[in-house]
Amino acid sequence: MPAEEIEKLAAAWLAREDRGLTAEETAALDLWLESSSLHKVAYLRLKGTWRRADRLAALKRPAARETDESHLFGRGLFAIAATLLVLLAGGWFWWHMPKAQSYATAVGQKQELRLADGTRLELNTNTRVHATVTASRRIVTLDAGEAYFDVVHDANRPFVVYAGNRRITDLGTKFSVFRNGDDVRVTVREGRVKVEILGQGSAAVPVVADGGHEVVTKGNETLILAKPDTEIANDLSWRNGILVFRDQPLAEAAEQFNRYNARQIVVEGNARRIRIGGSFRADNVDVFVLLLHRGFGLSVNDQGDRITVSR
Amino acid sequence: MAQDAIDDWFMQEVLPLEPMLTRFLQRNWRNEAEISDLRQEAYARIYEAARREKPGLIKPFLFQVARNLMIDRLRKQSVVSLETMADFDWLNVSDDKPSSEAHVAARQELRLLQEALDGLPPRCRQVVLLRKIEGLSQKEVAAQMGITTETVENQVAKGMRLLAQALGGRRGAVATQSRRYNFLRRSRDAG
Repeated sequence: MPAEEIEKLAAAWLAREDRGLTAEETAALDLWLESSSLHKVAYLRLKGTWRRADRLAALKRPAARETDESHLFGRGLFAIAATLLVLLAGGWFWWHMPKAQSYATAVGQKQELRLADGTRLELNTNTRVHATVTASRRIVTLDAGEAYFDVVHDANRPFVVYAGNRRITDLGTKFSVFRNGDDVRVTVREGRVKVEILGQGSAAVPVVADGGHEVVTKGNETLILAKPDTEIANDLSWRNGILVFRDQPLAEAAEQFNRYNARQIVVEGNARRIRIGGSFRADNVDVFVLLLHRGFGLSVNDQGDRITVSR
Repeated sequence: MAQDAIDDWFMQEVLPLEPMLTRFLQRNWRNEAEISDLRQEAYARIYEAARREKPGLIKPFLFQVARNLMIDRLRKQSVVSLETMADFDWLNVSDDKPSSEAHVAARQELRLLQEALDGLPPRCRQVVLLRKIEGLSQKEVAAQMGITTETVENQVAKGMRLLAQALGGRRGAVATQSRRYNFLRRSRDAG
């Protein structure tokens, strides 16, 4: 058998071992390993690699360092008491069960929700998140879209948001994360967050951003911008269903509208570069294009699900 | 040696030499498609030898085994071109000084791992991240990502193979395979 085929079998065994083997499976694995040294070394090679990957845990730096130490003791006691209660309540099973919840919004929808730890989430249009809140960890993965977090801080249980390989750790905060593929923007309203790009070798220096800052990551680049409160408020205006533009190219503004509506605005030619400002209801495309027509004399061709705007 | 001791010895002492072994094989063997077979067979021979008696110096022993293996294979092939023989790079690695690869500093190790991690496809990478960095179980990873446990298991299997490949220094295996293979076939046909 070629090395690759053996390697595939070894990987399948190790993946099963990684989730936990039954007694029967263990016996079958032993048999497979004993039947050939080729099996054995392929298995050990992958096992060694998988163990080596444990060192990646070093990337998970404790968030507690950046927080007020005096609260830790009280919180620790509380955590112990809470844990005991849970265990006494026969919560062993609960403890071991994954608790992930999935939430999603359609285009143009918004949703507000509260997680088990009291943290409040607001999901913007076309967004999908999964949240796991257990006694020991709080993790949210943002598959797509934008979400605002008002986190109940807990130093013993850091609140982590994954947007692709961007890891955002709450250090006591209200913040918003927007993800478009690998481009991720984190807007911090209050408190601070830590943003890391994982898997970038030595370049992976975490960025800590305070309230009034925005962290923009694109590819391997991370940019941190100070923003006046008014601009932060504009960036978060989607929470009220409002889009605010300040001297932005029309093409960008149209892109924003298109996130919220099935009817897509297409801006053609040099009209794309016209700069506009103002605040608009995200769901009211008609008013927006009417203003473009009246204010800039642009021609608007409404074809139902597609509205073409040009000079 | 006891079974577990051999296993640990193999993972801790032999495997870190893999990038070097892979390069050695690549320099001396034209058919890239067979490199992973050769490597696996070399490992098996070393493992079996260690069962009988633990080798003293690992590096010279490993390369000796790889060398013998290639000679055995060449003997079995009907045609051995002079060029193939001349290409052998036998004497390059005989010392057993601690190599940089075997003793990578912790920080460098983390960098290597991160680079390997970065090379994974997005979904596979996410599974490995949650499993290894956040310490989630496979079941929890499945729940977190909204995918089935079977998918997680498959991604774990895929992830460890890709990581092993990246860390073992087997670069561009797929891309270079056909070229080298054709070369070998031509030399065979000519004979």
